[in-house]
Amino acid sequence: MSEGTMAIVKPEMKSYIWVQTADGSIQQVEEEVAMFCPMICREVLQTGMGSSKNYAISLPQRVNPAVLGLILDYCRFHQLPGRSNKERKTFDEKFVRLDTKKLCELTSAADSLQLRPLVDLTSRALARMIEGKTPEEIRETFNLPDDLTEEEKLEPLRNITDDPRIRLLNRLYARKRKELKERERLKNVEVEEECVDERSVDELLSFINGGNGDSKRATKNKKKNRRRKDQPRDSSSNNENGSHDKNDMVDIVATPNITSKLQDSTSVAFSPKLEFDDSVFEDELDPAMKEELDREVEDFARRLNSVWPERMQEILSLGQDRRLVPISANGNGSLKRYTGMLLILHYGGFLVIFFILGKKI
Amino acid sequence: MDNVIGQDLISDLPQSIIETILTKLPIRHAVRTCSLSSKWRYKWANLTQLVFDDKCATLCNDKGAVEDSLAKFITRFLFLHDGPIHKFSLSSAYLQSSPDIDQWLLFLSRNDIKQLILELGEGEWFRAPSCLFSCRRLTRLELIRCELDPPPTFKGFLCLKYLNLQQVLIAPDVVESLISSCPLLESLTLSYFDSLALTICAPNLKYLCLEGEFKDICLKNTPLLLAISVAMYMTDDIAEHFEQSSSCNFDKFLGSVPCLERLIGHIYLTKYLSIGNDLGKLPVAYNHLKVIELYQVSFEDMKEILVVLRLIVNSPCLQELQISGSSNTSTATEAPDLDFWEKECPSDCTFSLLETVKMTDMSGVPHEMEFIEFLLRNSPMLETMSITPSVYVTDGRLNMLIELVRFRRASAQAEIIFIQD
Repeated sequence: MSEGTMAIVKPEMKSYIWVQTADGSIQQVEEEVAMFCPMICREVLQTGMGSSKNYAISLPQRVNPAVLGLILDYCRFHQLPGRSNKERKTFDEKFVRLDTKKLCELTSAADSLQLRPLVDLTSRALARMIEGKTPEEIRETFNLPDDLTEEEKLEPLRNITDDPRIRLLNRLYARKRKELKERERLKNVEVEEECVDERSVDELLSFINGGNGDSKRATKNKKKNRRRKDQPRDSSSNNENGSHDKNDMVDIVATPNITSKLQDSTSVAFSPKLEFDDSVFEDELDPAMKEELDREVEDFARRLNSVWPERMQEILSLGQDRRLVPISANGNGSLKRYTGMLLILHYGGFLVIFFILGKKI
Repeated sequence: MDNVIGQDLISDLPQSIIETILTKLPIRHAVRTCSLSSKWRYKWANLTQLVFDDKCATLCNDKGAVEDSLAKFITRFLFLHDGPIHKFSLSSAYLQSSPDIDQWLLFLSRNDIKQLILELGEGEWFRAPSCLFSCRRLTRLELIRCELDPPPTFKGFLCLKYLNLQQVLIAPDVVESLISSCPLLESLTLSYFDSLALTICAPNLKYLCLEGEFKDICLKNTPLLLAISVAMYMTDDIAEHFEQSSSCNFDKFLGSVPCLERLIGHIYLTKYLSIGNDLGKLPVAYNHLKVIELYQVSFEDMKEILVVLRLIVNSPCLQELQISGSSNTSTATEAPDLDFWEKECPSDCTFSLLETVKMTDMSGVPHEMEFIEFLLRNSPMLETMSITPSVYVTDGRLNMLIELVRFRRASAQAEIIFIQD
């Protein structure tokens, strides 16, 4: 292409148009190339600018010198008549192989020069970067801030698609928050209790027995365990439209989460010692747990939104017992595997609800 | 690229660019951008070009559920939409006539809709509500499978340039008055009409595409017409009508299209034009006609040959000619009127710009070969002549070649390509 450019520039008696970019640099451009941009063409015809260095046409702010180079390449190629559609298409395809930042700048500059075909071309390239991608991927591509809450993210989708899945997801999310609150409340109560308990035990331990408190701690843990088991029942009975599978869901949500958290933080998963560290563990869990839940719900939402139909089919076509296999194989880290399983369990629980809803509708 | 970390690359582009990008996405993906960031939350809601199809619906096997989901999606979309809507396109195999569609159309008619495209599923046809006829800004209207009955107050679409009606139930006189009440109409497509005798008055018409069972096509006031494509289907009713016809179809159809550049006649057009052709009185001249394609021309019917000749002889600028024979030609090798080519055929005519000729489905019958010879002899600028024999001809191919080799050619450049499949 550059040889072609040279060939065009060389012949004598070429007329040129002078243009100036926002940074002040002035350059001359072959007339037929420059006139390919409607904005420059209009300036030349209406104001007579561009005829000499002193009367250079000021290009819009959005056209920086690097991008101007690209635009002129584009114009140089397309202003020549006699190219086949295939040649033009091939050129265009190669032309938009740019990094995201350049591509965005180019789109903006082409727009300011009213170069509609190039705006279309680059917009299509940008659209391809968006289509079929998850919100996370898009945010990463374009450096978008992730400044919406989970609920805000779902709200328009819920409004517009009226998707039973999203309704369900919202309910699930609401329930999780409720559960979280409940948990916090209980924990606070517990902490209060424990403060009293702990002190008295410590006092007792240090003051009377001198460090032999194992049995007492065990009983305390039993009490706490009992309380945790009660929780799901509490939350579901609080919920007036609670159904039996909700219980499943809460159980499913609660247990693997804790285990994954354990793996993450302590890396001594399933060691019996943990039972004794329970109180410490619970105290630090809740903020992190909250985060985990958020992440998990978002993940779930994302999967629902992006791959649901395929996933649905996959699940439907797979046997009940084989359900766990393909997805848990996706995760490579142990933590990932847990999330994966978690989601599948969601799907499992969800499927049941989905069918009930489907029948209702 | 490691540019300034955290710099948002796209959100602050002008809304017109964002809209261009969103328009190039399937609408569902465009809506999904609402969950990207706070700046993107309502960018989709300003889209002015809305294209809906079955992919907008939640897919499942229940047809009713898909229909329902699609209808809900569109209703909610329009409800949340903000700003003008220039284009509304809906193409669905699931949606049928429903009050939802009427409501959308009412909504759109109040939003100065410019382009409206509706292609609905088979089954119960959609009857266009009266509000459709009050979309005064329409420039493009495409309706596929619907029923049209304009209210008496309808005064025409004054801005309409592009009209496409396919499988549309509409009274014959209403079609005509609809067409003539769109003064700016440039492109007209009518498909699948039954036994329609159509007279077209459209002073700005440039592109005409007709397909269906037409009894008659009369171009009355179409001085600017550039391109015509016609496919005519034959029924007993129409065949009978043809037999009784006493006027010249050629004159009615191609009598006054001085600007024509391109003519494509699919099945039966040549047949149709041949009826009453010998009565043709109008002197015709197609000084801009560059491309002629005629399919299923029966070279056994002298009248059809005369139609082809009348066309090409009066097209001094003809560059490309493509003719396919009718493949069901019987094997009759003796043909009457063979001396026509020596005696009556205009011998002084020259196709001075003709470069490409494509003859397909050739059976090698005498009149075909004579026609080919006629073209070769009178086309000094000919570059390629390709001949594809009909699949039914197997034995006669060698004879065709032997004959072809013998023909004199006016063009020294002419390449004859015999295409064996």
